[in-house]
Amino acid sequence: MVDIGLFTQIVINGLLLGGIYVTIGVGFSLAFGVLEVVDFAVGEYVMVGAFMGAVLAPILGSEGVFVIPIVLVVFFGVGALIQPLIHHVTTGDRPHPLLMGLVFTFGLATFLRGSVLTIFGPNNQDVPSSLLTGGVTIPGIGTFPVVRTVTAVFGVTGLLVFMYYLYRTRGGMAIRAIAEDRTNARLMGININRYQSIAYGAYAALTGSAGVFIGMTFTANPGMGLQYTAFAFFMVVLAGMGYLPGVILAGIVLGLTQSFTAVYISGNLVLLVLFAIIYVVLLVSPAGILGKGEWAT
Amino acid sequence: MTGPVPSLDRLPGEPRYWYAGLAVLLVAWPLLFGDFWARIGLGALMWIGLAQSWNMIGGYAGYLDFGHGAYFGIGAFATGIAMAQLGYPFVVGFVLAAVVAATVAYLVAVPTLRLTGAYFAIATWALAESIKQAALVTGITGGTFGLSLPRSSETFVGVPVPFPISEAFFYYAMLVLCLATMALTYYLFERHEFGYRVKALRDDQDAAESLGIDTTRVKRQVYVLSCVVAALFGAVHAWYIVYVHPNDVLAPIITDRMVIMALLGGLGTLTGPVVGGLLVFLLERLSSVFLGSTTFYLPLIGILIMITVLFAPSGIIGILRGEVDRADVRENVKELGEKFDLL
Repeated sequence: MVDIGLFTQIVINGLLLGGIYVTIGVGFSLAFGVLEVVDFAVGEYVMVGAFMGAVLAPILGSEGVFVIPIVLVVFFGVGALIQPLIHHVTTGDRPHPLLMGLVFTFGLATFLRGSVLTIFGPNNQDVPSSLLTGGVTIPGIGTFPVVRTVTAVFGVTGLLVFMYYLYRTRGGMAIRAIAEDRTNARLMGININRYQSIAYGAYAALTGSAGVFIGMTFTANPGMGLQYTAFAFFMVVLAGMGYLPGVILAGIVLGLTQSFTAVYISGNLVLLVLFAIIYVVLLVSPAGILGKGEWAT
Repeated sequence: MTGPVPSLDRLPGEPRYWYAGLAVLLVAWPLLFGDFWARIGLGALMWIGLAQSWNMIGGYAGYLDFGHGAYFGIGAFATGIAMAQLGYPFVVGFVLAAVVAATVAYLVAVPTLRLTGAYFAIATWALAESIKQAALVTGITGGTFGLSLPRSSETFVGVPVPFPISEAFFYYAMLVLCLATMALTYYLFERHEFGYRVKALRDDQDAAESLGIDTTRVKRQVYVLSCVVAALFGAVHAWYIVYVHPNDVLAPIITDRMVIMALLGGLGTLTGPVVGGLLVFLLERLSSVFLGSTTFYLPLIGILIMITVLFAPSGIIGILRGEVDRADVRENVKELGEKFDLL
């Protein structure tokens, strides 16, 4: 028999997890739309974010939340400076520019993982937080763990701000124009270097700060990146590359899948199930299950 | 890009003396330097061969296979299961590795090769990860315990052989396998018509199709061939290391290394994977011996990849051949500088 209390608790946990995954997925999908690069480093940004939390939180009075603004600023800056490099390898006179972009981010991922592994060793590191502990129990529904709730709220807020920028401001319009057609956007007088850097920087900042929250919810580990790269791929593959509304749905599906698989089947099988779904969806419907993604090579 | 083995031709003196000297050195290596250097040598040979196997599909055919390491693991597990679970000698495991890898590769190739570019890369990457996760939870692979292989004189062909199964034996096994891979690559991709078909489909699939090349068939052939080669190295590796575990032989780092070695040396060239393979392998060994860190080579490799892609996309071989010279790099730096015009 299905225990109703447990069931609703799993749904709550899954939805709250989905909130933060959506943040990662939307940025990742946008980076793909603007730069046309599939970023293998996405999970490593999460990992580096979590480690920044682990390192800086003890300095800032054992409070992971205070690290968030620093991570946002630092990741935005670093992302804005990485973007020209990616833009350079995916354009210009070289064989297979898109594949070169893929390989470049692959190198970036190896560099980030290797550096953190070399500096901090392979062990788990805690991201301490004294504000976000315990949980709020609502009778008849279930317990909302504070850290996961704040994480989800942050994820959704970040997403809304980002969406507002993207759809309601001139800068956002420029970014969407670049995603539509880079050459034409440039002909319309858009500084593509600047807006691509803003888009990639915003993506890096959102992903890195999501990493701090993930570090507070679980723990920080140099090997954790792979899992979140897989999650990001899962979301965009399911949603269709570059289709933002689909990513939101896919992130929620991901959070629910993860919490249900972990409870009812086995935690070891979560990744197997996800990878199998990625593989099958790519083969059957490469434009996503909603069929609205763009087809890129 | 179609020249014969180039680099040795540039050395002073008659090239064949250099080849002869190299051949003597390779054969005499374990006898001259002992077990420690035989181990280093066989590792280098294995990685050169694996990088070359990736180069077949990734370099010559232009399909970035980010799950190629899975076939190394499949080869290792086929041998491991044959020897540890079923009690067969190594040769049976070796043949089984080839058969299993070819079957799996063909079944994977039929649907997966319809994808291109990034989609192909993600799909193969996801597939390799799911194979690893599956190996961790199934019984026949030993699950999380792994498998231990027997290594004695009878386990080679079933009856005792008159030579010891030592480091030197495995060195020669890897040498033969590596040279065979090189010869096969040279013949098929640089000399045979097959190589021209493969390069044609890499450069322009539609054009190749219009010239009457059955691209689907050629792609499948390259994919299966490259996977079987990787599996054979996996088979020898499993017996050499006498222990196979999903976290070792199916680790994503195996694919990473193959990609990096081929890319750094030069994609789609015969000698690229040799140069890249040697360089990356030695970098890894030396950093663990001299710096006492077994992970320090990872960031180094990451930086090397990024620099290669940014400034010398044809790899070290491209620089040696003079395809990329100082003016190209300067031009590259200038163009890159313009892209930093952010404000």
